[in-house]
Amino acid sequence: MNRRTFFLGIAGLAGCARDTRPRLNVYNWSAYVGPETIPDFEREFGVRVRYATYESNEELLAKVFTGNSGWDVVFPTYNRLEPMRSYGLLAPLRHDWLPNLPNLDAGFRAPAWDRSLAWGVPYMWYGTGIVYNRSVHPAPTRWADMWNPALKGRMTMLDDPEDMLGACLKKLGCSFSSTDPQELRRAEQEAIRQKPLLSAYLNAEVRDQLVAGDVLMAQLWSTTAQQAIDAAPNLAFVFPAEGFPFYCDCAVVLRESHRARLAHEFLNYLLRPHVSARVAEATKTATCNGAAHALLPPAIRDNPVLYPPPDVFARGEWPRALPPAAQRLRDRIWTEIKAS
Amino acid sequence: MRLRSWFLFPAWIWLAALFAAPFAIVMAYSFLTRGVYGGIEAPWTAESYQRLADPLYFAIVVRSFAIALAATAICLVLAFPAALFIARAPRHKNLYLQLVMLPFWTSFLVRTYAWIFLLRDTGLINTALQAIGLIHHPLPLLYNDGAVLLGLVYAYLPFMVLPIFATLERLDPSLAEAAADLGARPLSTLFRVIIPLSKPGIVAGCVLVFIPCLGAYLTPDLLGGGRTVMIGNLVQNQFTTARDWPFGSAISIVLMLLVVAGLWAFLRRESEPLV
Repeated sequence: MNRRTFFLGIAGLAGCARDTRPRLNVYNWSAYVGPETIPDFEREFGVRVRYATYESNEELLAKVFTGNSGWDVVFPTYNRLEPMRSYGLLAPLRHDWLPNLPNLDAGFRAPAWDRSLAWGVPYMWYGTGIVYNRSVHPAPTRWADMWNPALKGRMTMLDDPEDMLGACLKKLGCSFSSTDPQELRRAEQEAIRQKPLLSAYLNAEVRDQLVAGDVLMAQLWSTTAQQAIDAAPNLAFVFPAEGFPFYCDCAVVLRESHRARLAHEFLNYLLRPHVSARVAEATKTATCNGAAHALLPPAIRDNPVLYPPPDVFARGEWPRALPPAAQRLRDRIWTEIKAS
Repeated sequence: MRLRSWFLFPAWIWLAALFAAPFAIVMAYSFLTRGVYGGIEAPWTAESYQRLADPLYFAIVVRSFAIALAATAICLVLAFPAALFIARAPRHKNLYLQLVMLPFWTSFLVRTYAWIFLLRDTGLINTALQAIGLIHHPLPLLYNDGAVLLGLVYAYLPFMVLPIFATLERLDPSLAEAAADLGARPLSTLFRVIIPLSKPGIVAGCVLVFIPCLGAYLTPDLLGGGRTVMIGNLVQNQFTTARDWPFGSAISIVLMLLVVAGLWAFLRRESEPLV
């Protein structure tokens, strides 16, 4: 027995001891499934799921752009679908393997970014607005109210160039995804004017400070805002009058996947009304699944923060992916604001 | 080759795999073109370096150096007496050293978050000061340069204490006694005998504190509340939201060169009198 066969034998023994069930690799945003979502799927389909989480689209893209990431199903935000598709990273969806697709809410059956749902199944959605302490009078209704000198040092904006510049653009009456240098420069002036009034640029971590009362007004995602409101009922949320962005995360199957069928089974499983309703309830995020929405407890189903009424919804905008030149200008402006 | 030289082999492998190879990758990335959605693409170009010659980035570099220098200076002022105390302590020397190392038992991230809970408007410090009536409105302790400086000093103080302690401990106590015998007062002994002799420790401590402070990104991010940028934040931003890996790599390379050049000049100047 030479050394190589010896090692092969060892490897073989190790292999025998391991689980032989098929394995699906799912990479998702953190806190984006219910506690029983994955175990139930494993039990019902007799498979194993390797599940891991990420915190940003960039983190996800950095991995999957190698084309050899080892993941089967991932959940990019809708405006990343087109670049992922153009780089050949996505497997086209097989609708014959997704019989639960009609459960989607009418608003997501033919979304603007993927008319025929060829690449991604809309999963959950949310918007960006203002969360505020009810002690603030008058209550904010517009982005412009976040330039209020009376609240100096008690307000925060998101530490995210897209949302933060987007709010400045909306205040000026421009599109959230403007690529016009002049508009962007004017938005920059607004941001620099606002900076001395702000306590900080914070993302989800502002939640605790809203609850504790350090921060009285914050630009925040509706899902995170709802978590803060659940913890402190003296908080409220508004979708600003000038307009605001919506985001939607989609479940996709990567082209590199060798288990396209199983991956579709998983997507189809997530589309089941009860599964999807449990996810929406556990994560307090708005589901794209209309059949699931109907199953939710009334307090969640009719919550205007998660599911804004049609007149508010109409003011929302789905931000487009930015071309490289605009992206670069925005990054420069962002750095200038931070360095100012 | 003699057997002895083979002992260095693991260290060479380590250096090659974990330093030289990543450095070469960063170097190569910095001369490539930005991929539209992150990553890198052909062709080769020096454009990222040209972009760095921009007063905006220069201002951020100057700022980072100023903050890192200030943090190093404060660390030195705090660490020297502490190191002297430990080195001269007749008993419990190990206990004191353990206390210096104690913060390392907890994750850096958790410790930095803990500062947020101490410093914020409804945090422990402001609540306590208001309770005893010293102040009526919360002090703005968090999300400014002071908080960043505090966080950096807190994080890197042990790196200053330990090397200074090591040199002071080896210092022959009879030298200080001799100075006293020759009529030097304690302060004079300190500044003319002890500090010059502990210079190697001071230099090592300054280097160990200054370099990580210069590249810090977590502390300015968490305690500065994203209101300020240091070089570290600039680099991080290029690899995340800005999706400009070549530019981020170029900033890293330039930062590295600046540090190496600065260190070289500093050590050359500082080590001459000792040789």
